[in-house]
Amino acid sequence: MNDNLNKILNQYSNQISLLTSKAELENIRVELLGRKGIINELFQNIKNIAPEERKNYGSELNQLKTELENLISQKSATVTSTQQISVSDQKSIISLPKIGHLHPITQTEEQLNNLFRSLGFSIYDGPVIVTDEYNFERLNVPANHPARDMQDSLYIDEPQYLLRTQTSTIESYLLEASKDKLPIRTAFPGTTYRNEKVNRSNHFIFHQYQAVVVDKNITMKDLIGTMDLMFKTLYGPDVVVRYRAKYYPEVEPGVGPDMQCFKCHGQGCPLCKHAGWIEMGGSGMIHPKVLANAGIDPKEWRGFAFGMGLDRWTMAQNNIHDIRTLLGGNLAYKPSAK
Amino acid sequence: MKLIYSHLKKFLPSLDIAPQNLRDDLTMIGHFANYYEKLPDNDFIIDLDIKANRGDGLSYYGLARDLSVYYNIPLVSPIDPDFNIPASDYQLPISVTSPDVRRVMALKISDTQVQTSPQWLVDFCNLHNIHSVNNIVDLTNYVMFMYGIPNHAFDAGITSDSLIWENNQGKNSEFTTLDGTALKLSSQNLVISNPTEVLSTDLVGGKKSGINNNTNQIILEVAVYNRVRIRKDSKELKTVTEASTRLEKDLDSNLIPTAMNYLASLIISSSGGHISSQLYDYYPQVESESEIEFDLNMPALYSGIDIPTDFSLQVLKQLGCSIENINNTTVQATPPSIRKDISLPEDLVEEVVRFFGYNKIPSTQALSPKTLPDITPGILYLNLFIKKELAQLGYDEIRSWPLIKQESLIPNLIPQDSEPVYTQNSINSDYPVLRTSIISSLKSQQDQYQRFKVPQVQFFEIGKVFNQSQGQYHENYSLGIYDSNQSQLSSNLEKLSDRLKINGGNIQSYNDQTGFYVEINLDELVKSVDLAYIKDQPKSNDHENSGHSVELTSQIITLDANIILDQQQDPRELIKEYSQKIGENLWQLIISDIYHDPKSDKYRYTFRASYYNIDDKTAKDIHLTVFNLK
Ligand SMILES: [Zn+2]
Repeated sequence: MNDNLNKILNQYSNQISLLTSKAELENIRVELLGRKGIINELFQNIKNIAPEERKNYGSELNQLKTELENLISQKSATVTSTQQISVSDQKSIISLPKIGHLHPITQTEEQLNNLFRSLGFSIYDGPVIVTDEYNFERLNVPANHPARDMQDSLYIDEPQYLLRTQTSTIESYLLEASKDKLPIRTAFPGTTYRNEKVNRSNHFIFHQYQAVVVDKNITMKDLIGTMDLMFKTLYGPDVVVRYRAKYYPEVEPGVGPDMQCFKCHGQGCPLCKHAGWIEMGGSGMIHPKVLANAGIDPKEWRGFAFGMGLDRWTMAQNNIHDIRTLLGGNLAYKPSAK
Repeated sequence: MKLIYSHLKKFLPSLDIAPQNLRDDLTMIGHFANYYEKLPDNDFIIDLDIKANRGDGLSYYGLARDLSVYYNIPLVSPIDPDFNIPASDYQLPISVTSPDVRRVMALKISDTQVQTSPQWLVDFCNLHNIHSVNNIVDLTNYVMFMYGIPNHAFDAGITSDSLIWENNQGKNSEFTTLDGTALKLSSQNLVISNPTEVLSTDLVGGKKSGINNNTNQIILEVAVYNRVRIRKDSKELKTVTEASTRLEKDLDSNLIPTAMNYLASLIISSSGGHISSQLYDYYPQVESESEIEFDLNMPALYSGIDIPTDFSLQVLKQLGCSIENINNTTVQATPPSIRKDISLPEDLVEEVVRFFGYNKIPSTQALSPKTLPDITPGILYLNLFIKKELAQLGYDEIRSWPLIKQESLIPNLIPQDSEPVYTQNSINSDYPVLRTSIISSLKSQQDQYQRFKVPQVQFFEIGKVFNQSQGQYHENYSLGIYDSNQSQLSSNLEKLSDRLKINGGNIQSYNDQTGFYVEINLDELVKSVDLAYIKDQPKSNDHENSGHSVELTSQIITLDANIILDQQQDPRELIKEYSQKIGENLWQLIISDIYHDPKSDKYRYTFRASYYNIDDKTAKDIHLTVFNLK
């Protein structure tokens, strides 16, 4: 092809490829192929070409016109709907073989499940729609107990049926099912639900992780050591966690783990509300009433339970700034090759 | 709860501690302290979260009691030892008809002089976020903070002495509080009235009967009520006050005389006046205290560390328990009435251990591995197996809200003879219904991916779906997969079946203009798979998998480019090469066309590059530079 025509082809094929809208494409089409467009102009110029070159020039010009028409019509299909490219052009598309991804929460859960499996724990599960009895009463939170104010529940059929507000609800079902099969070591991830507004930093669905052990002679030392191992598995060996007295109705004594603020290293900053420490969840020795409610003799058996939220950690790990992203449409995965 | 060091020291004169140490010690014994702030004269203030079961912790006195045990220092009374309430012939004509009153004390003081509060009291109020009103009102608040028992002063010249504690008999339906808020009272609300009108609610005093500059005789009342009534009134009247947050905890009726003494002595010394009535005391049912048989070895057994029985006994005594010995190591302990949270031996274990120090329990001794029967439900093994298989096949896992919009329900995908389940009280009322099919969630996700122009998506979710029939709620795990390419989806489903060693199964399918959806009930599927085989699969976590999730903040921009090469090249190598050149904002790079021009004998490769979380112009700039289009 004549140098001049080649230049036009290269220039416009790149220009066309860069377009993202139908309107832009139409402008280019008119510029090139319109009645007063470049191609028509070139055809008009044919009379200025030496007669012996005219035939060859004419056929090259026709070739250019066809190529440009093809480019435009191909592009037209893609700007209409980028989504459909992959369907219609499947055969011609070459990409690296893709591997899919597990959800960040699943990855955090599995990291913990693996740790606990290695200590002989089973992974457990329970219903989402639960009764007041299992969500509250069996956990030592009778009606009108002040702890009910700590949780705004989402009811299906008030006051009896609700969505579980905490993973301890799974513990209620677990203890009942296991009362004749002790000892047990179990861990369980679970979504929990509260009647709260959804915004950038708050959600009504939470991801929690809980571990429950019932055995003879279980101690707070077992609890704190095991919980600390969990924190070190998640946050790395250098994490500093302190364990202090804390109240939860389903445990006695209660133990509250606080992590030294990773931003200010205990000096106090807005992230930790100037406390230098961040509350990490709750735990304790299973309350004797909770064991008794499940038909387990608290004089014979002791247990511990601990629970923590997974959302904030998973967000920090994945550079997610908006809690809604964890369960939302704007979480996507960068395609990665096998 | 805020705590000012200088006022704490009224109970603990020998306390001498740096602010950060006091903050950390309070936290370790169970009262989480957020921050401290320095005040003039070497004073400071600490902000505390008080546990829901520690009504006593909402007072300087309650916290001072804990600290006196922890630091082993004496707890003293701040009340002038020479003050006493003299005998009087005049009985206040008070009546109590409400069953919600646990105890009331009342006292009349005449010839008082109302004035502005001294500076220390104004400061105290300000630091506790309440308005300073006058010396009498401010002292009622001061005593509430110091002893944790709400109380009130009425202008007796306005109210008369005939106060009545009653559940509102319909005297008023409208009531104006001290700060001018209008409340609509109902018949159940606990109120203090006189024979003609309501003077105060249980939560907040009234404007009309409040202390003003002309007040010269007052009636003081200190009371504890049924906390359930307070919670109900507080919710119904949408009123939360310093008084209501205390009254809805289990407060100590036996502390009322002390609080009344302190209040009367402070008011007389501040406003003058003299006591002009008998001390009125309504206490219909003296509250019983729990007796706990306690083995002094229990704290050591529970904590797993060596805590001497002597130490256990010392803590019990310092807490104010009355003790009777049963034998060498067992005692009968009666906790002080202020500690309503102690009723079981385990409660005493917590007391002993928290004063011994949770930080003395080592954190390095996790449970050692132990082999126990595996009680993991089979469905959890199946879920994980499928997740990993689908990821291998190129599908990304999504998670979404089980609660969806009404219009996201897909009528064809509600199981026969059943109905969706709705929430009753959700404040997120746009999402009232639990999904009956996982496809509803996949569709919303695909809508979002389209909005963000994410190219070539393939994804799945495993989650619960819900319905109800015949008065029963049902939930099961469901697998949903989306793919824009039907034949690819079918072939991948076959591969999945092969891996699961099953022949198909019951698959729901659905499609829209963007692609194809399938759904499988996993609680059904789990019945037909070989669980032993599924469980046997490796469970290690694929960490190479992490770090690819992205929070999209803008549309993905997809641009094409041609490059002309003299020789044919491996397109996969070309993709790698150009991916590196583009760098971190590259979402995906594919080659959509390869064309050999027979005349020039050159090769034209058409690339399609997608850029994310950058604006249009930056994407084009990068694109033009990388593909030499400038
Ligand atoms: Zn910090």
